Amino acid sequence: MKWLSDYYKTLQPSIREFRLSFYLLNRNALQRISLIVIGLLVLIAIFAPWIAPFPSHAISETNPQDKLLPPSSRYWFGTDELGRDLLSRVIFGTRISLQTALIAVGLALLIGVPLGAIAGGLGGAADEIIMRITDVFLSFPPLLLAIAIAAFLGPSLQNAMLAIAISWWPWYTRIIRGQAVSIRERQFVRAALAIGTPMPRIIFHHILPNTMAPVIVQASMDIGGVILTVAALSFLGLGAQPPTPEWGLLISTSRTYFLNAWWYSTFPGIAIFLTVLVFNLIGDGIREVLDPRTRKF
Amino acid sequence: MAAYFEIKNLSVGFRTFEGIRPVLNIEHLAIERGETYGLVGESGAGKTVLALTILGLLPKPAGIIHSGEIWLDGEDPLKKSEHEMASTYRGKRLAMIFQDPMSTLNPVFTVGQQIARVIEQHQGLKGAACTRRALELLEMVKLSDTQSVLKKYPHELSGGQRQRVIIAIALSCGAEFLIADEPTRNLDVTIQAGVLKLIGELQKELKISVLFIANNVGLVNVFCKNVGILYRGKLVEEGPSSMVTRQPLHPYTETLISAIPRNKSEKLKFASLVIKPEAEKGCPFYSRCPIGEEGCTLREPMLERLDGEHKAACFLAGRR
Amino acid sequence: MRKFILRRLLLGVIVLFGVALITFFVARVVPSDPAAKWAGPRATPEQIAKARLELGLDKPLIVQFGKYLVDLVSGNLGYSLRTHRPVTLELMESLPATVELVLISTFAAVFVGIPLGVISAKQKDRLVDHLSRLFSIGVVSLPTFWIGLILQLVFFRMLGLFPMGGQLSTEIKITMEIPRITGFLMLDSLITGNFRIFVDALWHLVLPGITIGLYPVGLVARMTRSALLEILSEDYITAARSYGLKERVVLWSYALKNSIGPTSTVVALSIGYTLVNTFLTESIFTWPGIGSYIATAVIGLDYPAIMGVTIFSAFSYVILNLIADIIIALDPRVRT
Repeated sequence: MKWLSDYYKTLQPSIREFRLSFYLLNRNALQRISLIVIGLLVLIAIFAPWIAPFPSHAISETNPQDKLLPPSSRYWFGTDELGRDLLSRVIFGTRISLQTALIAVGLALLIGVPLGAIAGGLGGAADEIIMRITDVFLSFPPLLLAIAIAAFLGPSLQNAMLAIAISWWPWYTRIIRGQAVSIRERQFVRAALAIGTPMPRIIFHHILPNTMAPVIVQASMDIGGVILTVAALSFLGLGAQPPTPEWGLLISTSRTYFLNAWWYSTFPGIAIFLTVLVFNLIGDGIREVLDPRTRKF
Repeated sequence: MAAYFEIKNLSVGFRTFEGIRPVLNIEHLAIERGETYGLVGESGAGKTVLALTILGLLPKPAGIIHSGEIWLDGEDPLKKSEHEMASTYRGKRLAMIFQDPMSTLNPVFTVGQQIARVIEQHQGLKGAACTRRALELLEMVKLSDTQSVLKKYPHELSGGQRQRVIIAIALSCGAEFLIADEPTRNLDVTIQAGVLKLIGELQKELKISVLFIANNVGLVNVFCKNVGILYRGKLVEEGPSSMVTRQPLHPYTETLISAIPRNKSEKLKFASLVIKPEAEKGCPFYSRCPIGEEGCTLREPMLERLDGEHKAACFLAGRR
Repeated sequence: MRKFILRRLLLGVIVLFGVALITFFVARVVPSDPAAKWAGPRATPEQIAKARLELGLDKPLIVQFGKYLVDLVSGNLGYSLRTHRPVTLELMESLPATVELVLISTFAAVFVGIPLGVISAKQKDRLVDHLSRLFSIGVVSLPTFWIGLILQLVFFRMLGLFPMGGQLSTEIKITMEIPRITGFLMLDSLITGNFRIFVDALWHLVLPGITIGLYPVGLVARMTRSALLEILSEDYITAARSYGLKERVVLWSYALKNSIGPTSTVVALSIGYTLVNTFLTESIFTWPGIGSYIATAVIGLDYPAIMGVTIFSAFSYVILNLIADIIIALDPRVRT
């Protein structure tokens, strides 16, 4: 287990840098607000069953006599065609969106990062092969591959996550590989090679920790995009299935009724918009902070 | 009597994460018409900042000018608006030769296009007349095969050629005051001499005033009449270049020149790297000064006339 | 330069091959039986077996893939399981409507997005910049399908200003003969001088156009701004200013020319996003383009159709990126 704590130590400089950037993020009012909102969203997601006024509506219970009611003091966001409280469903949707995004991005990182490290660290044939594969995957228009994969695997939230992970990993591979290539040329790597350190250790112990920073940035910026993608997939019927209260699915179902039930489309959409917006704002802030040229100081 | 170019009490700072960092603090600097002045200092001393300040090109919002006046031929650029600077001042009154010819030439335009743009702007020439003038200028900077150089992109030229192109562009502005910011810094030593010689000749021929910035005293000796030594944003010594280089008064200048000492033991004193704890006030050079004493940390030494036009800011000036 | 294009084309071909490979294998992961689909919902086992033979599903995978490639090269994308018509034909029929939308988004990206980005970079941290950045970030955070719905809600339901969907009003579709020369409704109606159709088509184009155009503008403006900011901090810009060059020249000539590379990359990327956004937009506005085609295909699990559209989109995207790369190669530094 020692290697784990050793590994943690090598990650320290990157972590410190990350902490500094995090602190710097708070300087801008807009960023501060975004950070707070993200915190709120996470809280909502975690405590959904206790916050939602009608938690059972979000899961399976239906309430047909209250169907399609406009917003009122009882049902703040109104109800859907099965009489379920929209507010509760949207609240649970937060949980689904955040979870799905984190898992999808996490999976993509799990696939993409090691591949990139190997490609950049080893160079030569491994590099060529991995990068050609990456190129092919990246040649698909964004989202198209996810749609195709989700269509073929069968519509479900899990498959949607998988589809997104499969279409997203090449971006991270490319970033890591670029970083790895430049790190590989550095003195300390050459020194490690010279004393006979085995290649896997070099890649994972020396190179990888130093390449993480841009990828972490990119991944945090991607969360917004992934949430949108999951919503889009669900909207097309390829992701979450009824009765899951996923935001995209809610909007899709609302199409039949929304002309007379404006609240049905509006609130889930606002939820998506706000969530993606704050993640994008934070992502933008992170990027601005880390790029020395756009720093204000 | 105001000189052709004069700086008075210029104080410039940079906004950083930790607050405002003072970068320049020059009480007085004067250059007469047609004269050359060499400004010497190590990296970070503030030389380029001075050049940018005079041109009004300090990066915003990082750079702040706390106070000061600059006079160039009767006008103060610090008091002008950005629009005035762009339209009437830069290029027309003064031009600059930059340090790194690769990064100061636009990579996506040919040399010809870049010179032509400036000529068009300042002399209103177009087409064939413009090209002719461009070729003239390239010849003036002693480039050979000027026709083909005109069509080349910056990355297709050698370092020395690029620097000559930069000089040509600066000259094409028609200004009478030239700031040369370490023009030979990024060139091979063998090329450096050629470019220096060129600048010296051009200066004499065109009778322009030059502020020559360098990090090496030896360079300024070539054609500068007066020399100023900059340390951490302050002028610590100033005077005719022959005097300053042959008989430096300030210990910092001495370390720059590594002058021949009078006895052998002194040689060692200046050759070693001296590091004392930073003094909170007093002389800024104290921590690196081989002859610094406690008295030096009490107040800051001012630039004083010590021998004719030769000035130095040191309590122990001239002492070895 | 020529060598570069050749090399890039070769790379493109290899990539296209990879795309075909991936699409082929993705399709093979299919959980349901294409033969059964082909034969129809009430097929007997013999009919299904016959369908299997017809579709060549009994042959080994390699042979299937080989046939698939040969078909691809000759433009044959198979037959729709649902309609039994050639997928290529159906694609071509639906294409123009989608191209209209894609064109709108490209125009928006280039003629609104880029200038917005440039102005935003120049006026950094002033009101214009903040507003435009807020706009850009806001717009790329909006789900396209939701924007379409809201637009319908407000402009159709509440204000009654614009139609809900479709390319033409039903009234016109019934009463008038729709010209069909190029397949592009706007063009065809202009050519045949059919003004009423032209205006009607234009009127129907507004809401979908806004829906599809927002994202590219936001994306391109944001990227152009950051690319330009980087360029504006370069030494040669300071040098250019020191020579007294007018700021207008410095910005729109000196700086912009250096941004051609990143700008074309981001425009290509935005078109890529648009490709998928058109699917969503078409779905909402019942726009008869490829998106609607694939939507029906997805619901009916019509695999050749889905594959056909996927390959077609991927191919177009690859070619688009090729063009973008060639534009980047115009940068003199890359040529040598």
